[in-house]
Amino acid sequence: MNTVTVALARLLLVAAVFAMPSFAADDEEALKKDLTAVIALHGQPCGEVVAVKVLAQDDYAATCKDKNKYHVYLNAEGRVIVEKQK
Amino acid sequence: MRVAHAALLLLVLAAGCARGQRDVQVPEPANVAAQSGTPQPLPAATPAPSAQPTAPRPARETAPPIAKKPATAPALDLNSLEAQLRETKAIGVFTKITLKNQVDDLLDKFREYYQGKAKFTMADLRRAYDLLMMKVLSLLQDEDQKLASAIVSSREAIWSLLADPIKFATFQG
Repeated sequence: MNTVTVALARLLLVAAVFAMPSFAADDEEALKKDLTAVIALHGQPCGEVVAVKVLAQDDYAATCKDKNKYHVYLNAEGRVIVEKQK
Repeated sequence: MRVAHAALLLLVLAAGCARGQRDVQVPEPANVAAQSGTPQPLPAATPAPSAQPTAPRPARETAPPIAKKPATAPALDLNSLEAQLRETKAIGVFTKITLKNQVDDLLDKFREYYQGKAKFTMADLRRAYDLLMMKVLSLLQDEDQKLASAIVSSREAIWSLLADPIKFATFQG
């Protein structure tokens, strides 16, 4: 009984370790999709966001499939700003 | 043997976790798909004067063509639509804020128009409204068809609120 409990606990621990990166990956995919939509709504060329760097809260550096780079952030007035980077 | 069992279970668990929410069901597209082209008036819309069908009818030509079935606009529940838009997972947070920014910009343009300060026409405002609706619908139609359909159904009712200065003033509160 004791060994079963220990085995189960180990199993859950390992499963949790496996599961966490998966959730993180899902979050990152959702963020990329979100930023792709934001950039498109601003009428900027991008195609698809392939990499995101979090600069601060509500402040991102996005790299697009077509190599365009954007600074996407929420300003003090509550507006989402998309600035093209060189 | 026990180790092998545990490993198998672990793999099954890990696979289940890795799948996440990817299994989004995409039901048969309704009339939302038709919206992706040129904007068309909806059945619930106030019929345009020339909207009567001109195709030949087989029989009963003598019957009066109008007022058989008055077009009734669906009840417009803006609060419900707003709540559903806030809660939908089909649109990301930043996208929602961007859309809200664009809705606010459009409302500012209406305000400007009704104050007589605008250089644009009501047709320009309608074009801007249609474009914004298309953006919202294109974001929703794949992952939240129910809400997309609700918005399509309310589209003309919302426009009638905006296009009438008195209703617009009331709506602004």
